[in-house]
Amino acid sequence: MIYVENLRKEFKKTIKDPGVIGSLKALFHPHNEKVIAVDDISFNVPEGEVMGFIGPNGAGKSTVIKMLTGILTPTSGKCTINGKNPAEDRKNYVREIGVVFGQRTQLWWDLPLRETYGVLKEIYEVPDDKYKKRMAFLNEVLDLESFITSPVRTLSLGQRMRADIAASLLHSPKVLFLDEPTIGLDVVVKDNIRNAIEYINKQENTTVILTTHDLADIELLSKRIVMIDKGKNVFDGTISELKSKYGQIRELHFETDTQNADKVLAYKEHFGFVDDDISIKTEGTGVQVRFNSEVVPVSEMLSYTLGKININDISVKDADIEEIIRRLYKREV
Amino acid sequence: MKRKLRIYFPFINAGLQEATTYRANWFFMILGNVLGCFVSYFIWNAVFLSGGNDTMNGFTMPQMVVYIFLMFLTSTLISSGGTYDIGEEIRDGSISMRMIKPISYNSTFLFQELGNKIMTVCILIIPLVLGVEICRTIFTGEIQFNIIGFLLYIISCVFAYLINFFFNICFGFIAFVIKYLWGANMMKNCIVGFLSGTMIPFTFLPDFLEKLFLFLPFASLNYTPVMIYMGMYSGTELLFYMGLQLFWVLVFWGLSKLLWRVATKHLCVQGG
Repeated sequence: MIYVENLRKEFKKTIKDPGVIGSLKALFHPHNEKVIAVDDISFNVPEGEVMGFIGPNGAGKSTVIKMLTGILTPTSGKCTINGKNPAEDRKNYVREIGVVFGQRTQLWWDLPLRETYGVLKEIYEVPDDKYKKRMAFLNEVLDLESFITSPVRTLSLGQRMRADIAASLLHSPKVLFLDEPTIGLDVVVKDNIRNAIEYINKQENTTVILTTHDLADIELLSKRIVMIDKGKNVFDGTISELKSKYGQIRELHFETDTQNADKVLAYKEHFGFVDDDISIKTEGTGVQVRFNSEVVPVSEMLSYTLGKININDISVKDADIEEIIRRLYKREV
Repeated sequence: MKRKLRIYFPFINAGLQEATTYRANWFFMILGNVLGCFVSYFIWNAVFLSGGNDTMNGFTMPQMVVYIFLMFLTSTLISSGGTYDIGEEIRDGSISMRMIKPISYNSTFLFQELGNKIMTVCILIIPLVLGVEICRTIFTGEIQFNIIGFLLYIISCVFAYLINFFFNICFGFIAFVIKYLWGANMMKNCIVGFLSGTMIPFTFLPDFLEKLFLFLPFASLNYTPVMIYMGMYSGTELLFYMGLQLFWVLVFWGLSKLLWRVATKHLCVQGG
């Protein structure tokens, strides 16, 4: 469905020295520098898959999405979606895709929400009966009824995002691009939106590319992850692959009545952990220790801890994906 | 063609609704223009009084009054905010929201603005034309209104609007290079104001400048429609100037298409 080969995008950027003097200098002698935002990225997405596209801020995710949606032209490389090249035949290509940029809106700011859908209906040439059915469906999934007559500028962020997603789905696109669709939303709205995306993916076999910083989105929606950093591919695979590859982190949680348990235990000194491999959090009588089980096996860690202090309750957990990603981002930056 | 109209008609509708949303803004804008119009009336009045002659470069004071108010009417009818809108969309990156739709970028602007304009045209044209005609009748003692002249004026205004629209679009694309357009837009408005005869009639200029300016696209904006309304052109002259208008429409239409192609290849979307 989506083939991306060796995609690359360069920008020119004006470098400015700090302060007013620097600005003045840049005014007369602009100093340009080439910035490589996306550097040789390739991946494929089969039909009906939800792909999680992640990476730290500034990794180049949005630039890739913009190239895939035909907004930017790649410096080199190729992307083919639905058999079409977005850069060549934009008007025809965008007919088959839906796009949501969480930080922008495609809704008509000063008009009642309903008008936007009316305009979109004409733009995409959706016939009347289909339009009615589709609106009923979207209304059911995203619950638009209560604010469909309000001007868009008066909507809350959660309402606006639901309305935006509905707008991107009105013409039943084959591919849906969601660039941070849950940014700034509360837990309930996030849940609604995730459910809606999942439902539409299941119902219509829509291929979805999802970028987000909320890893719960990814865990709930997609099996597959592509991670990029500094414009380069860092990881491409399923979540379980990610866990087995990088997930040697375990989380040890125990309750103790020993005072200053972390000082008494002194894991770092005892096992010789480096900074990255261990972190300890104390909360009242509860202590949470995250450590790299490649450096010290779980059994050794357990017996050492149990022997050193008085333990009331203890448990060991796999690290969640968030921890893995955190470590990955830190290592790369 | 019919299909195209169906797609773009909602933009007219939306533009009209947008215009009615900010009624106060619209009202103050028109009021500001009217005040400016009276300022130039009083300036020319002073000029004629101190000059002592009845005519100045072929203009009598009553003709000057008609000229000022017709210029005001024409510039309001043909005004186009394309430069500002495109500049803003490029500056804040919202241009990408138009690009993800299967529609022509220029056409959405055109139809949205036409919608915006409907209100202005409906409200302004009758009182202003009536006012100008009453002035002319009082000054000359007989009714000057000529329905054919008026219709030609309207057609000429449509051409002028299209020239202005596509010219502004072309100018707006400069924002792809310089990112923020406010200063450049101010400069452009000043220059166009002078070159289109809005500030002073061309007959007040040296002969060679007058001839040169008449061929520039800017004369086709305000000057030609006003001259047509005032009955200054007739026969082949009329045909020539309207033909020139049509020529400039086509030139700027083509140029805007070309620039759009070039610009999108080098597009760099700001923010997010």
